[in-house]
Amino acid sequence: MSRHTADVVVIGAGILGAAAAHYLSRAGQRVVVFDRGAPNREGSGTTAGNLHIQAIHPSRPGQEVPADNGRFLPLQVAVSDMWESVELELEASVELRRHGGFMIAETPHEYAELRAKQAMEAAAGLPTELLDGDAARAALPLLSRTVVGATWCALDGYANPLKITPAYLASARRHGAQIHGYTPVTGIAATRSGWRVTAGGDTYDAPAVINVAGPWIAQVARLAGIRLRMTPVAIQMHVTPRMPETMRHLVQHIGEGMSVKQVTAGNVLIGGGWPALRLDLDGRSVASVRSAGGNLALAARVLPFLSGVRLLRVWAGPLAATPDELPVIGEVPGAPGFFVAGGTYAFTLAPLWGETLCRLVAGESPRVQVSDLGPDRLLIDTQSDELDLVANQERALEGAVRDSVQQGSTRRKEQA
Amino acid sequence: MSDRDVLIVGGGPAGLSAALSAAQGGLRVALVDEHTELGGQYFKRRHPAVVARHGDFRPAGTRLVTAVRQAGVDCLTGHLVWGVADDGATLLVAGPDGAPHALRARFTVLATGAHERVLPFPGWQLPGVVTAGLALHLATIDRVPVGRRVLLAGTGPFLLPVACALLEVGVRVVGVAEANHPYRLGRHAAASLRYPARLRELAGYLATLVRHRVPVWQDTYVLSASGPDRLRQVTLGGRHAGTVEADVLCVGHGFRPNVELARLLGCETRPDPVVGEPVPVADVVGRTSRPDVYVVGEAAGIAGVHAARARGQAAALDILARTGRAVPPARQRRVHARVRRLARFAALTEALFPPPLHLLDGIPDDTEVCRCEQVSAGEIRATAGLAHNGLNATKGFTRAGMGLCQGRECGTAVACLTRAANPHAPAEAFTARMPVRPVPVTALGVPPRHAAGADRGRPAGGGTPGGEVVR
Ligand SMILES: Cc1cc2nc3c(=O)[nH]c(=O)nc-3n(C[C@H](O)[C@H](O)[C@H](O)COP(=O)(O)OP(=O)(O)OC[C@H]3O[C@@H](n4cnc5c(N)ncnc54)[C@H](O)[C@@H]3O)c2cc1C
Repeated sequence: MSRHTADVVVIGAGILGAAAAHYLSRAGQRVVVFDRGAPNREGSGTTAGNLHIQAIHPSRPGQEVPADNGRFLPLQVAVSDMWESVELELEASVELRRHGGFMIAETPHEYAELRAKQAMEAAAGLPTELLDGDAARAALPLLSRTVVGATWCALDGYANPLKITPAYLASARRHGAQIHGYTPVTGIAATRSGWRVTAGGDTYDAPAVINVAGPWIAQVARLAGIRLRMTPVAIQMHVTPRMPETMRHLVQHIGEGMSVKQVTAGNVLIGGGWPALRLDLDGRSVASVRSAGGNLALAARVLPFLSGVRLLRVWAGPLAATPDELPVIGEVPGAPGFFVAGGTYAFTLAPLWGETLCRLVAGESPRVQVSDLGPDRLLIDTQSDELDLVANQERALEGAVRDSVQQGSTRRKEQA
Repeated sequence: MSDRDVLIVGGGPAGLSAALSAAQGGLRVALVDEHTELGGQYFKRRHPAVVARHGDFRPAGTRLVTAVRQAGVDCLTGHLVWGVADDGATLLVAGPDGAPHALRARFTVLATGAHERVLPFPGWQLPGVVTAGLALHLATIDRVPVGRRVLLAGTGPFLLPVACALLEVGVRVVGVAEANHPYRLGRHAAASLRYPARLRELAGYLATLVRHRVPVWQDTYVLSASGPDRLRQVTLGGRHAGTVEADVLCVGHGFRPNVELARLLGCETRPDPVVGEPVPVADVVGRTSRPDVYVVGEAAGIAGVHAARARGQAAALDILARTGRAVPPARQRRVHARVRRLARFAALTEALFPPPLHLLDGIPDDTEVCRCEQVSAGEIRATAGLAHNGLNATKGFTRAGMGLCQGRECGTAVACLTRAANPHAPAEAFTARMPVRPVPVTALGVPPRHAAGADRGRPAGGGTPGGEVVR
């Protein structure tokens, strides 16, 4: 067992850990990154990779907590510009595509939702356009006749998830960061001047620790004696074999879980946050065939050419979600130097969150205001019986995921 | 649960034998195969026109198929089993028209066979480089010579019958390059004397090759294949290093069991001791860690047609006994003894013809390894060489193994290159994912094109084969 020191220890080599390591090491910090497995194998490597710039739809039937569009929009506006310079900054291609996206409606009610959403976007300074069904089909003839309207946002896009996180890590490495795969963090203890992190049998003393362990955020926080309320889930993706270029845009649905786009290699990726069969935080989460059928049928209804394609692969990935469906980013109150970041849409928000973490560690103010997104709201009062409640919830989680699949009805309002 | 007792996946020698024994014993049996004809690789059927001119090929196969049909087995040909439903047991099937089906029986027997293994070398993607299996198929089933001057290379006893079959259709076989040195009197050869029938078979092939003056070069392997637009020349390394002119090169480095369905069903696997790829754990009758799932034939480990038939029979007898049918213990003992004997012979063969994985250390960085996604050995080595990456991370970063063949072709090579570049990463296999073969989305209940658009309002997820048994 040997002892090391660092300026910042980053726990988790998903896109958030990688982006944070990039910004921090570039700013001259000595960074050490740990992952329990290989980097980019969890949420960030299994994600749909959409850059969601237009608002996600606020609420769907069955959704307990609606996503707060108003709170997300300034973050989306801020990160949109940052994505433009990512490839230059990382000196790597990440197959960035900003070909714009449609969010479609199939009912008058959904169309009204689009209208409200567009007004909100305009107020946030995000340029989007509301189209009726014919205008939408004129813009994208692949859309079916069931489409009654769409919003168009030229800034929606895609980055290859299998490229971006490795590119952030490569940049961090060039700036001196150390990256340790297959090295789970097994202990975190407060010291007089910061934290002592145990990983791979060695210890690392650092004034700052960043917990970006995705679906494992709560477990990692617990190593430091901090109890956080998180609600991880597993959702799934579907991909076709490579095809000639057919569709340049991202297509989403305002009322149901659906995202479709064709990626640079030619494969069409179909997602929409449909629940996987099983969240497995010890192994690989398992995809649900029922979800696959539902998601594909929906996509083929909106984009009829999809009823003639083949399915190449289905996979599931875990996702750190918060009970209020908002991102979490900030320092844990009462634990100076212990930062947490994660939650939904972390792929889209990664450049912003990487930079924000870097600034927070340095005591600077971030480019967007995030003080209301801190982990304080997720802290579990260890004195109350809320703890038992959480333990029960955690146990119920796996069953609930399975049940929701069996009912075949729920689609997470999650992105993808 | 359907009223079927046994569902058998794969209509090769193992699946056919299992089906026949089970049906003859009074069980209700369904046999599913993705091909339109039963027989599998070994008992492949000839087109009637070819039969009319050249007679039947391996009549034993024809007899077996006929017997299976006569025994009342429900034969679902042209049906691809592509996955496992959310209940973890029902098999999901794509019909010939891409229609969704779901099948379930009390017992499932996986007889999914094996896939030819080819280890990459520079130039292996050139037109004119084919698998030994393809050359054999052309020669025996279609009676078409694969080329004029043909070289065979790789390893395994399989190369010999292929060479003989090529000779029969008038091919000039310039040589057989065998990467190992099995054909000599040594410890293993002496041991193989205990299997006179198998030995006589091999000796017969070797005699044919001698008669046609076809050299068998042992300890010899392909370094590269070259030609401007298609194969012209093969450079050999090893004991008989040199260059050989040929218009076709047939390669084969043994076989890889098709284990995807067993993995998707959650059957326990263990890493193959030589290659490290997962193989299902199964006992002498093919019982896996799942009491209702058997795995037989090449899917349970490469052992050849005789073992495949014996294993299929052993599984059927076991199911018969478990379902209360009278099975004479002596008959069971006989079959088990045969399975064990043939398994020992297979182990011997395996020891004589190990896949020459070390050759992968020598392939240049610009060798294309994953042909579907065009990923080179160098890219794989560089990615895997970063200490924090393992096999699946390397797959993700490079796309190697992500293409149409889903890693079936390049899997062994990608795993070996990764291991060599990063010996510290924990041993992994490609994650088992559905579908096991690309399927039309209609197989998941998506309405076909002409019906799409008309069904707005049907419940989401309805019509998917997620649980209900369709047939
Ligand atoms: C199928 C799917 C589709 C999605 N689609 C989109 C989309 O289109 N757009 C979008 O913006 N978002 C999308 N998301 C969400 C987005 O992908 C995630 O929010 C994001 O990738 C999370 O990144 P992360 O770095 O926080 O977590 P992760 O990528 O999950 O990384 C966490 C890492 O922490 C490591 N770790 C855990 N415990 C320890 C420990 N004790 N020690 C060391 N390391 C540890 C893990 O191994 C893992 O690598 C999708 C998610 C999924 C699953």
